[in-house]
Amino acid sequence: MNIDRRKLLIGFILVDAVVVSLILLYVLNRPNAGVANTASGERVRIQLNWVPEPEFGGFYAALQDGLYAQEGIDVEIIKGAAGTPAPQMASSGQVEFAIASADQMLTLNEKGGDLTAVFSVFETSPMGIMVKADAPWTSLEELWKSDATVAVEAGLPYLKYLSKKVPDSKVRIVPTGAGLAGFERGAVQGQQCFVTAEPVQMELKKVPVRVFSLAASGYDPYAVLVVTKASWLAEHREVAAKLVRALREGWTRYLADPAKYNVEISKLNPAMSVEAMNIAAEKQRDLVAPPGTGAHEIGSMSSERWTTLVAQLQELGTISKQPASIDAVFWNAPK
Amino acid sequence: MSRSDSKRAVPPVSSVVMRAAQAVIPSLTVVLVLLAVWQGAVSLFAPSEFLVPAPLAVVHAMIQSRQALLAAAWMTGSSAVLGFLMAAVIGVTLGSMLAASKFLMRGLYPIATLLQMVPLVAIAPLLVVWCGYGARTSIASAVIVSVFPVLAATLDGMRSTDLGLVELFAVNRASRLQRWWKLELPWAIPSIVTGLRIAAGLSVIGAIVGEFVGAFAGDQSPVGILIVSAIRENRTDLVFAAVSVAALVGFALFGVVSLVGWILLRRWHASAG
Repeated sequence: MNIDRRKLLIGFILVDAVVVSLILLYVLNRPNAGVANTASGERVRIQLNWVPEPEFGGFYAALQDGLYAQEGIDVEIIKGAAGTPAPQMASSGQVEFAIASADQMLTLNEKGGDLTAVFSVFETSPMGIMVKADAPWTSLEELWKSDATVAVEAGLPYLKYLSKKVPDSKVRIVPTGAGLAGFERGAVQGQQCFVTAEPVQMELKKVPVRVFSLAASGYDPYAVLVVTKASWLAEHREVAAKLVRALREGWTRYLADPAKYNVEISKLNPAMSVEAMNIAAEKQRDLVAPPGTGAHEIGSMSSERWTTLVAQLQELGTISKQPASIDAVFWNAPK
Repeated sequence: MSRSDSKRAVPPVSSVVMRAAQAVIPSLTVVLVLLAVWQGAVSLFAPSEFLVPAPLAVVHAMIQSRQALLAAAWMTGSSAVLGFLMAAVIGVTLGSMLAASKFLMRGLYPIATLLQMVPLVAIAPLLVVWCGYGARTSIASAVIVSVFPVLAATLDGMRSTDLGLVELFAVNRASRLQRWWKLELPWAIPSIVTGLRIAAGLSVIGAIVGEFVGAFAGDQSPVGILIVSAIRENRTDLVFAAVSVAALVGFALFGVVSLVGWILLRRWHASAG
């Protein structure tokens, strides 16, 4: 009996060892970031941080019109979802490119990340707080002074920004995980939003809303940034430049005729109708390319904006030190 | 079921302490060795802070954020304990009812099993709609996730009552309530204690899932909000610290349930040995 039990134990240990070895083999052999050559060119992956929506319109327009292939790159756009750690995936080398916000990227870099931004979809941040049209508040500051319940993701830098700006704030912060049901029935009076998403949903449900823009309140980080690992970029500038050229052209075409591309994007995200996508595309137009922006300027970033953001994040205590060089946090591809 | 025929002698306290130490020392040694290996690996390979924090960094985060963590442990622990107690009452009551009636068991048990299969994270947003923001959602979430093990354990314990004893109660014309109180419930206690031990850990998980969608954030936030916030800030060290605190809360609850179980069973059941 004892011998049988010993054999059984040894058997278990062997099985465990085989399982652990197989897992290790899988993990160690996982494809890491690099540039693989395929029939249609050098292959790179873009990890989105959200589901396909108009905020990624130019990415999909470039795909649908074959602009990546024309540049000689084979781009795979990987859909995201709530909580997808997209910038972390780029920084750990699991994908070549990922989507992040500027503050998220700087925070990650301070914790050992190594990211550089190569393209910014939004020139003006689309983040805001949505209230019902008949709500008593006329500004974000006024809302923040009230005792309203506001659904915002905890830990976002702009929460600290607003707390600093309105020190006597009485708002009660709750998570956004419950969706818009709380906002609709009045349990939540303010709702964090992307002007291209939640307000559109409310509009389609005939719930009139107003949006207080965070950018207008003074906190305006670049949003929907395409980021990549700085060390990867140093070795693959030409590939990154090809991607940026394709994205610029893709966004130019998308902004000119979003409806043409939204039909296909909606197939990738059936939860959002083509009608909703068309409305969202119109709402984001000026935030992506303010009037007067040239096609070659779409996606470009400036040192001034980055410097302002770094100073704001330092003041908020979100980051403790400046990046070694402000020019190292972003890279504008040649026009 | 292993059961001694007569009441057992209560072991002396010193022997209980010795046995507890013998039980704790091996697992403590393994934990310390694992932590040392982890610290060594982080020092050797130096991965980015946001990927894996060193154990010492986690300890540092615990010390640095001790007030926030203590407040979080209290808030989450309160929700978990309330949810656990409600799950215990509901689970034992429903389990007893199902054991008493084949009709109820055939009708309700499959539904209860089905409810257990529903992923909590999927229905958590609905809990906010039904219960509103605040601790009620966390408590409801804790109840939902921890009620089934108690129910199943109660049912299993009661259905395994010795048939000879059931007949003895019948011969002596014991009422249905007397049979439940004096035979089936005591017989099921070892099984119920096992179910409660499982439910204790689950209630903490349930409370945290509820907090992810329905808790208030502020200067003092529960563990769920602290974790979400730390993830957003790329504070992996704080995430690990908060998770460790949650585990400690669960472990404490598990310990209390085990202690109560031991007190209830030590005189007459082998499982308390």
